[in-house]
Amino acid sequence: MFTIDKPLPSPSEDTEPYWDATRDGRFVIPACAACGHRFMPPAKVCPKCLSDQVSFQPASGRGKVFSWIVVHRPQHPAFMEDAPYPVAIVELDEGPRLHGRLEGDLSSASVGAPVEVTFQKINDQITLPNFRLVTGT
Amino acid sequence: MSRHPLKGTHALAGVGLSRFGKVWGTSCLGFTLEACKNAIEECGITRDEIDGCLVSMPAIMGEQHGWSTRVAAHLGLEPRLATTMDMGGATPIGMIQTAALYIEAGMANAVICCFGMQNNPQGVVPQLFGSQFAIPYGDIGAITFMAHVARRQMHLYGYSSSQYGEIASAFRYHASMNPAAQKREPFTVEDHQRSPWIVEPMHLLDCCLVTDGGGAVIVTSLERARDLKQPPVVIAGAGQEHGAEMIFPVLPRNETPSGARAARSAFAMAGVLPHDVDVAMLYDGFTPLVMHELEAFGFAKHGEVGPWVATGALRLGGELPTNTHGGLLSEGHLFGVGHIAEGMRQVRRTAGPRQVENAEVVFVTGFGGAPHEAPPTLSYATLVLTPDHR
Repeated sequence: MFTIDKPLPSPSEDTEPYWDATRDGRFVIPACAACGHRFMPPAKVCPKCLSDQVSFQPASGRGKVFSWIVVHRPQHPAFMEDAPYPVAIVELDEGPRLHGRLEGDLSSASVGAPVEVTFQKINDQITLPNFRLVTGT
Repeated sequence: MSRHPLKGTHALAGVGLSRFGKVWGTSCLGFTLEACKNAIEECGITRDEIDGCLVSMPAIMGEQHGWSTRVAAHLGLEPRLATTMDMGGATPIGMIQTAALYIEAGMANAVICCFGMQNNPQGVVPQLFGSQFAIPYGDIGAITFMAHVARRQMHLYGYSSSQYGEIASAFRYHASMNPAAQKREPFTVEDHQRSPWIVEPMHLLDCCLVTDGGGAVIVTSLERARDLKQPPVVIAGAGQEHGAEMIFPVLPRNETPSGARAARSAFAMAGVLPHDVDVAMLYDGFTPLVMHELEAFGFAKHGEVGPWVATGALRLGGELPTNTHGGLLSEGHLFGVGHIAEGMRQVRRTAGPRQVENAEVVFVTGFGGAPHEAPPTLSYATLVLTPDHR
């Protein structure tokens, strides 16, 4: 039967350490040794000071919901089976923002709600980081 | 303050749209040529006088290379300048600005700026743009991006979904008077609320139409345009900025929204202020984008756009008649050339039942880039158009 696969990350030299880490259940983001800036998405050059002294450093995996949406009509057929599904943009405690599926009780979803990273294994190469709403204290 | 060297020096001499809507079986090239022919015939310029050809990058793989030169060749042109440009939905206005610069520099006399779009191409698959940090989650394209923008606006300012609905309803009301519009049946805010979710918090009626078609604009000096068939539409102001601040502030300098700068430059060049604008043609891929533009361009204060829009401000007869043709939301997704064409009609007083009386200052915007990327690149291009008062 003809099936359409979901598009997956294709790690490059710029991004491989990020995907290597998530595969091992670790969460790292780029950090600039020259100016201390932490950013996403990964790139060889720091967008703040243009230094190339960029390495991947552990991050807390904690942050807050910056925005969240629920996709009812996916723009790619492979995601039809998931719809409706929530996607968040999370602002990490370290500052950078990134996307992830939003997990947990959606009735508590709101901008500013605390979240923590989870790891979803897709295959032997790729594990996607997602974010789970943290309820209680 | 000294006069901007480009102020009032160049004009939109002619405009042409192809057939548009759900028009299957015609190619991207076909629409482009149809629109160019219409624009040339509309203003009566001699074909051989056109010595510049700017074409928007087609969204179809395999057709990009040398595209502008190929379009020129199909028009029987051997232009001095030809370039394929890509600023997303800001491209048509970007092309017009580039054309004016070519002419000002003496590098061209008349430039045709055009695009074509076929959403159902046979045998080719549109490329999935993408960031490996968004797409694997199913967060793909402009729709999800704009849903995030809406969520942020609702969070920051307390805007309600029905305020977005009023934007869409106002533009549809205008489209009901536009015989060429793809969707002409008026709807209410209640209808908008009942329309299905596409990406929460956006309903179906918050989203623009999918349109096959093309458009073309001919730019030349005001002096030359005066001798052509149509009244020249004067470029009084122009602005362009590229930023990333809406969702992902990459750099501190992006804290000043680039959209605000793009409008400020155009207004300053034209010597007008936002409240001088008689008619606005705002790029309206999605209703949250209109909200953002009204705020960024200085038509209402941050946080006050939603309630202001809900008073009917954007309707004909309102404080700021906007998208009197129906916009991308109802006339059709003509990549912003529909906005330019309607802006030209308003300046020429040929908009029929949609005419805004004494339209002297018309503000037209384009917006585009790659929201599917992280960080998204945002491109704003603006024009202030006025009649020729010689």
